[in-house]
Amino acid sequence: MNKENNEENLNLSRRKFIGGIGATGAVALSAGAWGGKTLQDALGDLFQDHYQRMTPEEIKEVLARIERKAKSDYGAEIKCENTPPREKVLFGYALNIAKCKGYRDCVHACVKENNHGRDSQTQYIRVLEMPNGTTDLEKSDHYYNHEQVPQDGKYYLPVQCMQCADPPCVKACPVSATWAEPDGIVVVDYDWCIGCRYCMTACPYWARHFNWTTPRIPPEEVNPQTHYLGNRPRPRGVVEKCHFCIQRTRKGLQPACMDACPTGARIFGNLLDPKSEIRYVLENKTVFRLKEELGTDPKFWYFTD
Amino acid sequence: MRRALFLFWISIGWPIWATDNSTDGGAVLSFVGYPDAPNFTVKPLKKKIRNCERCHGEMQHNTNIRVLEDAPHIDSLNHGNGRFWCLECHDEVESNKLQTPTGEKVGFADAYLVCGSCHANRQKDWYFGAHGKRVENWDGQRVILGCTNCHEPHEPTLQPYKPKAPPQLRVGLNPSAKKHQLPIIWPWQVINTSEANHE
Repeated sequence: MNKENNEENLNLSRRKFIGGIGATGAVALSAGAWGGKTLQDALGDLFQDHYQRMTPEEIKEVLARIERKAKSDYGAEIKCENTPPREKVLFGYALNIAKCKGYRDCVHACVKENNHGRDSQTQYIRVLEMPNGTTDLEKSDHYYNHEQVPQDGKYYLPVQCMQCADPPCVKACPVSATWAEPDGIVVVDYDWCIGCRYCMTACPYWARHFNWTTPRIPPEEVNPQTHYLGNRPRPRGVVEKCHFCIQRTRKGLQPACMDACPTGARIFGNLLDPKSEIRYVLENKTVFRLKEELGTDPKFWYFTD
Repeated sequence: MRRALFLFWISIGWPIWATDNSTDGGAVLSFVGYPDAPNFTVKPLKKKIRNCERCHGEMQHNTNIRVLEDAPHIDSLNHGNGRFWCLECHDEVESNKLQTPTGEKVGFADAYLVCGSCHANRQKDWYFGAHGKRVENWDGQRVILGCTNCHEPHEPTLQPYKPKAPPQLRVGLNPSAKKHQLPIIWPWQVINTSEANHE
């Protein structure tokens, strides 16, 4: 009798045990258990490889995962792309400091285009207000808040990532999470970055920014056109920077800062095209680059009329 | 001689000047562009231009520089340091057209031909993309803004206005917080709570 009871208990226990495994598995596979992700997505994130080592199929899976994550995190439908660099294109930028009036339209267009967390304190462009007659950056002020600009005796010098041809930030990265693409854009694999901030220290232009907080963006303000190496929603604790609006420029569009500039001070184009506007500027205007003596070979020039 | 001069200008890469026999007094060289400049189209003006001929077709022309009291349009000209009057640029006979110093009649959409009569260096830069503003793309069809898209022709200097908001002042990054009277923000602080509460 006891033996029968024991067997019955054992059977019940076995049944409960199997049921328990099933329930656990169901919970594990459900979206709630992995920070809003499915187990498959959580494992995909965990074992995701470096961008440059992934196969096209793996990248496709990653892009789909990013889109699902944006839906769950932001409530927004986004399209994350992996538009490759164009052949025979090397991007360059020129900025007319006689035309820049310090309105900061470029700064705010960049924040919207690149899905910056609205409370993240991250801005890729810094418009420096400079006293006339000097290029000493220590005399600059980028927190100016006048009633009107331009102010007498001042000129304005926007600074952002210079996309150096010999970038010190890339050399400083201990995990190769940042590199220069064939079209000259220095990019970051946000999923490979460990957030050590060595690159920020190495950059002489203060162009790299650490994402201190999880980006928060109202769903209606999320820019749905994104690129893996560009403006896709980034995690907290990684370094990011201007990427010449890679999601736009690789499709032939202007960077958002140039599009927003009300004075036409910004000129962007292909340095390898002898007919391009940027080549005309470089060949016919007196141009200079910031901290050229450091030998980083920036692809961002300043000029005046 | 004129042909030799024309060939000389072309050979040194200067603008093309076309022969125009329509004007009295012989041939006049009129500017039609730079041969090396990339192709472009000018974006149409947003602002609707008045039909000038409705009034000026009937009115007697007065070339004296003065303040136009009771006029339904601007009353004075802040362009050329007081040396200009309306008819420097507007055609006297066809009020809905502009005119160049060589007497060519030009539509409002082609105002850059009139502007370039005085501002030739700027105009050249504009043709080649170093001045003015290209719209939307860097590759593909080149659409650029005309001079009057950005410059009000009767007062061409761009007016100052209030800049957009400065960046939040991260604690420790700038010692001049008091100078700007901006609140100091700690890295973990949420700045705009109304925007941040959407989650």
